[in-house]
Amino acid sequence: MRRYATIIAAACLMLALAGMGQAQSTTTLSVAVGPEASLTVTTGTTTLASGSTTFSNPFTGTTSLTYKIRTTKVGGTGTLSLKITADFSGTGGPSVTTPPTSGDALTYTCTVSSPGTACTGTVTASTSSATSVATFGAAANSTSAGNSASTAWSLTDDPVYATGTYTATATYTISAT
Amino acid sequence: MPAGGATGTGTQSLSAVIDAVGALTAPASASLSPNSTAFQPFTGSVSLSYQARTTPAGGGSIGLSMSSDFAPAGGPSISTGALTYTCSGASLGSACSGMQTVSTTAQTPVLTLPASACTGGGGACSNLNPNSVNLTFTLTDSPAYPTGTYSAKITFVISAT
Repeated sequence: MRRYATIIAAACLMLALAGMGQAQSTTTLSVAVGPEASLTVTTGTTTLASGSTTFSNPFTGTTSLTYKIRTTKVGGTGTLSLKITADFSGTGGPSVTTPPTSGDALTYTCTVSSPGTACTGTVTASTSSATSVATFGAAANSTSAGNSASTAWSLTDDPVYATGTYTATATYTISAT
Repeated sequence: MPAGGATGTGTQSLSAVIDAVGALTAPASASLSPNSTAFQPFTGSVSLSYQARTTPAGGGSIGLSMSSDFAPAGGPSISTGALTYTCSGASLGSACSGMQTVSTTAQTPVLTLPASACTGGGGACSNLNPNSVNLTFTLTDSPAYPTGTYSAKITFVISAT
């Protein structure tokens, strides 16, 4: 009786071994995360308007944008800047390149959420060189959804401007190292 | 041997038990490359080689599980669902369908083997030996990740019955 029990147990074990084959292999996935930056201008067209009819107030408007940035942990930097890549169209109106009157200017101030540091004071926009909107230090990381920034524009209301609608283009650039 | 000695014959039954078997080889390492557009996902491919034999009443599968999450901490993490993959090009069996999210706890599908599947030889078996299946991994690229190099380990398991 004891012998039969032993044989039955051994047979069951062999059946189990024959029923299934299994093996495994492992892979290490690696990723190098480097500095990156991107931005989206969320204001489609910024309209500059003046509430004054007496030339006492400049034309003003605000352009909003969302930026994403990641700078290197040690020694990294970042910049957000803008440049007027197309001056006001038409003749007889405002001009960034050649203002009709000395002192006429397109200027802006900056509002930038952390981790950016906004430009200081009032900056005069230029068609020849990029001007600062924000700077970033090492180990700067925006949120996954991006962080906010804006430029508040001011354009001199000069009586010499002919009536009409004038359009210029400001191009924003962000970079990270 | 004495003169006039007898000769004899004997028979021996030979039997082979052909079991269900699965074997696979994955590359030791694979890199996920950045997208040319900022903050678009990292991607990378892994090709698995496998051999399988399933019984007429059986079947099989290849699954994927996480052995260790991305390290060092602070960067991408499988626990947040950041690592996904798709499967394609299975030369034996059916590759997984749609996008799969790698789990920290559960095995996720790579491939399903039918009954009576076998690798190589043609005929009722596949023509290729070994068989292969491709996985394309996608890892979210968040600005919140600090710069650096991160590594995770994943384990592929093949089973056949």
